[in-house]
Amino acid sequence: MEFKDYYQTLGVDRDAAIPDIKKAYRKLARKYHPDISKEPDAALRMQEINEAKAVLTDPEKRAAYDQLGERYRAGQDFRPPPDWDAGFEFSGSSFEDIDLGEFSDFFANLFGQRGPRTHRGHRMQGGDRHAKIYVDLEDAYHGAVRTVTLHVPQTDAQGHVSAREHNLKVRIPKGIKEGQHIRLAGQGHPGIGGGEPGNLYLEVHFTPDPDYRVEGRDVFATLRVAPWEAALGAAIDVPTPSGQVHLKIPKGSQGGRKLRLKGRGLPGDEPGDLYFVLEVVLPPAHTDKARRLYESMARDMPFNPRQTRQANG
Amino acid sequence: MAEYNAIEAEVLDDARLTLEEFARACAVERQWVVERVESGMLGDGTRYVSKWQFTSHDLTRARRLRQMEFDFDAEPELAALVADLFEEVDHLRRRLRAAGLKLE
Repeated sequence: MEFKDYYQTLGVDRDAAIPDIKKAYRKLARKYHPDISKEPDAALRMQEINEAKAVLTDPEKRAAYDQLGERYRAGQDFRPPPDWDAGFEFSGSSFEDIDLGEFSDFFANLFGQRGPRTHRGHRMQGGDRHAKIYVDLEDAYHGAVRTVTLHVPQTDAQGHVSAREHNLKVRIPKGIKEGQHIRLAGQGHPGIGGGEPGNLYLEVHFTPDPDYRVEGRDVFATLRVAPWEAALGAAIDVPTPSGQVHLKIPKGSQGGRKLRLKGRGLPGDEPGDLYFVLEVVLPPAHTDKARRLYESMARDMPFNPRQTRQANG
Repeated sequence: MAEYNAIEAEVLDDARLTLEEFARACAVERQWVVERVESGMLGDGTRYVSKWQFTSHDLTRARRLRQMEFDFDAEPELAALVADLFEEVDHLRRRLRAAGLKLE
């Protein structure tokens, strides 16, 4: 385990006052906010600065950390010495905001102590946990079983906490939507003093699909058609997430026309619709015959696409 | 992978959260939620506390409000304004994606 220099993480001096630490934190939190940041390592940086703030803005934790930090530098191999925190009393309440699973081993080892000192005689339900899960659109159509890897705090005999990987097999319900949460009862943090465990909430997101785009329960796809299929009409076989369909292209269609397949979007009490957006693709004029056909059309079909809509049909 | 021992998940919106469950899921006091519902920042405007039920959308929104308030010491109204803007951006991004337009 490496020693983490929280002052370096936030870019503040060792004697920085709490308002300065908060200011430095906010500047970085704005930069790495998961909803807007385009930085590739935004989630990791956010975790690091959250952790640094949690320690440096709590006077007791900061004092204990400072005493320890006199002997270590960032990146140095580190094991917390026994009784390193003797004489410091961390307030138990501040842990309620903190999901130890989202923090580093370093933090969990130092501040994750959940011994009898802070919770003697208390029976308390464990905290709820939150995580994101990415599923394929197919999973939302048919339901699926997926494995989620969580970092779960584990307490040793001395009451110190470290993170271990825990795999959960989760049944993804059919008809789940982007952004929706699913709750897994009892899969949150363990209870304290015999209390019930908390719940795990998974926020569902779809992995980007090369063929389909989703809005609510409606699903959109581009359907490439030949000019004669659009102009004359056609009946073609098309794959959809719920199986192949025989689709009728109405004659006189133009690029951009939306064809709706009612009820073939995401399933649910009110299933969504599937929309095919037509894209007319021109055959290349790379043979003599193809060129002659284009020339014949140019000659025999009076058509100027830059004129009236009527001329467009 | 054997599927028989997979954990059954409960979809929020089918099962909505009570006030207590919701406060716990957001790691806030019950009163924090009550104040934000009563001032129209959260929930569907239902007047009676006993009938309050919270959805997936409420959970995402409340956790954003909490983050803005706790991390930036934002006034609740300012946090709500930021959450409104995030929701608007999310909505526009979804519309763009559905229209087949790529975001940078």
